[in-house]
Amino acid sequence: MSQAFTKAMARNIFYGGSVFFMLLFLALTFDTHTAWPQRDNHENLTEQVAHGKRLWEENNCIGCHTLLGEGAYFAPELGNAFKRLGGADGIKGFIASRPKDGIPGRRSMPQFNFSEDDLNAIAAFLKYVSEMNTASWPPNIQG
Amino acid sequence: MTAEAAIQQQRRGLAVPRFPPGDLAIWIFILAELLVFALFFAAYAFTRMQHIALFDRYQAMLNRDAALINTLALLTASYFVMRGVVAAREGQGRLCARWTWAAVGMGALFLVVKSSEYAHHLHAGINLSTNTFYMFYLSLTFFHFLHVILGMVILVAVALKAGRGGYTPEEHTGVETGASYWHMVDLVWLVLFPLVYVMK
Amino acid sequence: MQYKSQAVAKPYFIAAIGLFVGQILFGLIIGMQYVVGDFLFPEIPFNVARMVHTNLLIVWLLFGFMGAAYYLVPEESERELVSPGLAILMFWVFLIAGALTVLGYLLVPYSGLAEMTGNSVLPTMGREFLEQPTITKAGIVVVALAFLYNVGLTILKGRKTVVSLVLLIGLAGLAVLFLFSFYNPDNLAKDKFYWWWVVHLWVEGVWELILGSILAFVLIKTTGVDREVIEKWLYVIIAMTLITGIIGTGHHYYWIGTPDYWQWWGSIFSALEPIPFFMMTVFAFNMVNRRRRNHPNKAAVLWALGTAVMAFLGAGVWGFLHTLAPVNYYTHGSQITAAHGHMAFYGAYVMIVLTMISYAMPMLRGRSAANSEASQVLEMWSFWLMTVSMVFITLFLTGAGILQTYLQRYSSDPLPFMVVQEKISLFYWMREVAGLMFLIGLVVYVASFFVGSRQPEATAVVEGSAA
Repeated sequence: MSQAFTKAMARNIFYGGSVFFMLLFLALTFDTHTAWPQRDNHENLTEQVAHGKRLWEENNCIGCHTLLGEGAYFAPELGNAFKRLGGADGIKGFIASRPKDGIPGRRSMPQFNFSEDDLNAIAAFLKYVSEMNTASWPPNIQG
Repeated sequence: MTAEAAIQQQRRGLAVPRFPPGDLAIWIFILAELLVFALFFAAYAFTRMQHIALFDRYQAMLNRDAALINTLALLTASYFVMRGVVAAREGQGRLCARWTWAAVGMGALFLVVKSSEYAHHLHAGINLSTNTFYMFYLSLTFFHFLHVILGMVILVAVALKAGRGGYTPEEHTGVETGASYWHMVDLVWLVLFPLVYVMK
Repeated sequence: MQYKSQAVAKPYFIAAIGLFVGQILFGLIIGMQYVVGDFLFPEIPFNVARMVHTNLLIVWLLFGFMGAAYYLVPEESERELVSPGLAILMFWVFLIAGALTVLGYLLVPYSGLAEMTGNSVLPTMGREFLEQPTITKAGIVVVALAFLYNVGLTILKGRKTVVSLVLLIGLAGLAVLFLFSFYNPDNLAKDKFYWWWVVHLWVEGVWELILGSILAFVLIKTTGVDREVIEKWLYVIIAMTLITGIIGTGHHYYWIGTPDYWQWWGSIFSALEPIPFFMMTVFAFNMVNRRRRNHPNKAAVLWALGTAVMAFLGAGVWGFLHTLAPVNYYTHGSQITAAHGHMAFYGAYVMIVLTMISYAMPMLRGRSAANSEASQVLEMWSFWLMTVSMVFITLFLTGAGILQTYLQRYSSDPLPFMVVQEKISLFYWMREVAGLMFLIGLVVYVASFFVGSRQPEATAVVEGSAA
């Protein structure tokens, strides 16, 4: 008798295995939801922070920067920028002072002409991000 | 074994022993699963070395009696499964079904005992994020728990088909496939039990 | 070509190649901006060019997948497509929507585009790879549904093979998981968590099903190996893909505000993700070695084998390099990630689409099986030029990433991001040169469609015959 290796069994393993691990993944997702309140800094998720997140998105900041390590690798990590730039004033000052035509020969951040409210919201958003529990990532202040 | 001898053995109602038994596809799956468990066990051992006091303290709070009952339940189930394979080999489909159902019953006993342990932890507010020990303990045992369920699903399918007379002494690969998977589930517990509950 | 309706694949493949060229041009622009910071600033800022680079990639791969499905499904189902007209209509809808979106990126500031398209109604923009305006996303859903209807019904009404069923599962999964791109909570941890349900579960999940089934189809056709054998292995490989890949999503959940246990779950399962890729390599070479005939389209066989090898290297090996949590702690979001991303996308998905185009295009253009010798030689040159260039792009980015990780993250005196970037600029220059080589390879590839088209078809060399 030759070794049995049937397509039916291979198919069963594909369907069975996929469903099995999908259910396991859903179980872990469920647990993640119950664990989030201790780590996601949601208590500081104010209207202003939400507005800041929207500004973050609508100006495609992730096209150059990383946020908690995800995004483009062209410009500095911003998950801890609130700490690195010395708080809200540091962030607002940096963004507001970008020259319109950039800095010759260097990578430059565009001038977005944000209002004072917008700048405050962006700073609030970056403060909120910097206070999430990210398992002490990034390794140091340089991001 | 020559082809002629093989045919004679089949005439006597005995299937030709094969290695590995069952469908080769299940062995690829079994190997992958064992690899996952091996990595988990290694991670457990590695982490335990760094937090021996913590692991010892919380290990002592586990219900070792329940785990012992479960070990016996799984071993018994494996024995029943083996009797089922022998019955199938001898062409006794109904008997094979009965042994396999008995194994499913022992699996169910395991689930009940383990669930009562989980209920106890849940009541005490313990979850994956409580501490490193519980993270590993819950991850490992729950991952294995799901495997017991999957193994039982497979055994039920085997038992139903055996009951319908779906296996013959010549062709009962399905029984061997299910048995192989179940033995893997059992084997993993036999490592898990001493590692997580007993090891000092 | 056995069925008339397979012809709808042709415009899809042509569009795919056209957008591929655009993707590479924008890749060269952002590669240049890495070393000459003010290149094209402020006309085309880096974030815009990068968005065009990545979005074009996704769109042209989708064009490729759809073209592949339209070619493959009638042949597998042994019947004509349910509606070739719908396929052509959707082609134009998708192409125009894609073109308008890219023009929007380039001509309007991104925030203006968000305002124009009413992002505030259902904000979904501004997240990596999902930058498309919400209405474009809705358009993608419509195209995907029409496509699934067309392909799904053809499969259900015709002969059902493993190849077509796996393809259908992969494509349906692609469409369903894309729906998570509409979920964008204010809570950043949740946003990122479900963002990966699109991104990871696409490229390390359902897309691999699509990859596997296209590869299986081309191998069945070019090697003549028994379908039973190939389909069996297809099942085993994609089973391993999902077994490792679904929980493997956890390797993205280390540092984004998710519980710590993901570091263990993610590391363990993603460490096994190279296994299905390795199996795919062994499988592809095995099938070609056991071939029952020599197919005259040698270029297609080369692409198929290349896919298997490069997917294993890019997705498997380069993925494993930084997937374990203690390593990823230092490499996360560095040029190491970029290196892995480039080779994995090229090896797995670019190459499988080019494999399918290479196999199908000769028939779509009226040949019986293969292009002329001259055309194939040129195509194989382009294979090597592009593949070797990509290896070098990956190696240079890896070098940059190792230095970056050390200087910025690991050394006792970590340096600021921009200081490090200047120190490693030599690697970026070399990457740009390799990128130019890639472009040359791509030009050769396009040229191969125009060279030798009047010459007779290549014929298979019969092995063992001295004649």
